[in-house]
Amino acid sequence: MKPTTRIALLGLSVPAAILILWQIAALLQPTPLFPGPGKVVLAIWKNYPVILHELGITLLRAGAGFAVASLTMIPLGIFLGRFRSLGKVLEPLMDMLATLPPPAIIPLVMLFAGTGDWAKVVIIAYAAAVPLLMNTYEASHSIHPMLSRVARSLHLSRLETMRLIDLPSSLPMIATGARLAIASSLLVSVTSEMLLSTNGIGTYLQRSQETFKIDAGLAGIAFISLAGVLVNAGVFRLEKKWLFWHYRDQRPTE
Amino acid sequence: MPAILTADGVGKSYGSGSARMPIIDGLTLSIAKGEFVSLVGPSGCGKTTLLMCLSGLLAPSDGAVSFKGQVVDQPPIGLSVVFQDYSRSLLPWKTNLDNVLFGMRRVQGMDARAKRARAEEILAAVGLTGFGGHYPWQVSGGMQQRVAIARGIASQSELLLLDEPLAAVDAQTRADMQDLLLDVAQRFKQTCVLVTHDVEEAVYMANRVLVLGPRPTRVVREVVVDLPMPRDQLTTREAPGFLHARHEVLALIRGMRQGQKLS
Ligand SMILES: Nc1ncnc2c1ncn2[C@@H]1O[C@H](COP(=O)(O)OP(=O)(O)OP(=O)(O)O)[C@@H](O)[C@H]1O
Ligand SMILES: [Mg+2]
Repeated sequence: MKPTTRIALLGLSVPAAILILWQIAALLQPTPLFPGPGKVVLAIWKNYPVILHELGITLLRAGAGFAVASLTMIPLGIFLGRFRSLGKVLEPLMDMLATLPPPAIIPLVMLFAGTGDWAKVVIIAYAAAVPLLMNTYEASHSIHPMLSRVARSLHLSRLETMRLIDLPSSLPMIATGARLAIASSLLVSVTSEMLLSTNGIGTYLQRSQETFKIDAGLAGIAFISLAGVLVNAGVFRLEKKWLFWHYRDQRPTE
Repeated sequence: MPAILTADGVGKSYGSGSARMPIIDGLTLSIAKGEFVSLVGPSGCGKTTLLMCLSGLLAPSDGAVSFKGQVVDQPPIGLSVVFQDYSRSLLPWKTNLDNVLFGMRRVQGMDARAKRARAEEILAAVGLTGFGGHYPWQVSGGMQQRVAIARGIASQSELLLLDEPLAAVDAQTRADMQDLLLDVAQRFKQTCVLVTHDVEEAVYMANRVLVLGPRPTRVVREVVVDLPMPRDQLTTREAPGFLHARHEVLALIRGMRQGQKLS
């Protein structure tokens, strides 16, 4: 057996062992408050249309918030990186916002935007904005001066420099920011539904808990983590496609 | 011949106060249209700094640079730079061909297709046939340097400032590249200013060699190379005029080194 295969099998054996122990424990304690994996699988089978529907709503809101944040914060970060003095002026403000936890602004947003879909999108966008802006700004303001010289000597306008030089060379750090932003979009999307919503997977989890349908709740959690894994895999593929030049480990064989 | 580029009493220093370090001091030069001028000088004397000032990428602390009679405060259209730091000056997310095409953004009167054909032709001329689709980080340092030169040539600028463009190129290719640069300069009526460490190269390529002094630098001697163009790697290097000019430049530089050792 190859060492890599052995490690992969070992890695899978840990969750498998946990599942087995969990099932044994559940069989020893027969109560609906402590369902075993078997019961959860049944709950998944019974509830998956509802769960997928609710999860879809959650992902849609998370996606909308993330998109709003990307479309505003990436250009803003690039802009502030190129116009140094403005960036320096705003740095303390950015640092302050960075330490403010997203749920803390929920009451404020409710005051102005109510509790509807848009209010949630605003909160999610705020959560995603912070890592996106910080990383984009950090990248674009530390671009090597040589690249600015190249841009100037090729007579690029400021806008062209930002679009053709600053944006691509900042992409690796933007990707790091985007990973963090995606994680907090999902987190805040689910959390905000638990606090103030009538639909979405967060509400579904909350209701399952309140009506003691623990197995259904666990089924919901299983779907959330599946969604997380899929989103991460998608991001990984995009990174490989767009940032191959950054992870330049291989020379072509000739 | 009218001057295409002049520097008039140019001074440049880095830092301020007690940390102020003068790099260039009262440097005056004039480059005529169609000329090929080499700049040689001791290592670290300020050749790159001078080229940055001449190109408008750095503002001189004193004096002024003019390009075609206009004071330079930004890189003017019609002037291109091939940077010494070639690997950083190429865009790693673009292929070699796209890097060359990027240098042609301001070229007028050519559609995308013609530009592409031209860029491929130039890459072939610098000996990179088949490497247009590679990325700069996939090819050797010498090849990267040739991509950078190709980008400079492709811009079709009237004035090309080259900062040690052949330093990483291997000896055999270097001779070919020297002839290529001379040929291109002739064909496109490009004026060239070449910074080089290699005295033989400086003399072989140039109509005039300007010898720069130690820091803070200025032009200490002008050596006219009275040899016909086109040059030839064998006969030019054996011509009495070549040997004479080479001797003069080498003697000057050796004098500077000894002066430095004594002080
Ligand atoms: N941005 C800068 N700030 C401060 N000092 C600098 C800066 N750039 C260059 N110098 C200093 O100025 C001096 C001249 O540098 P420059 O690169 O112009 O020399 P050079 O003649 O091109 O050297 P080389 O032969 O190594 O290419 C060096 O002593 C260098 O340390
Ligand atoms: Mg230099």
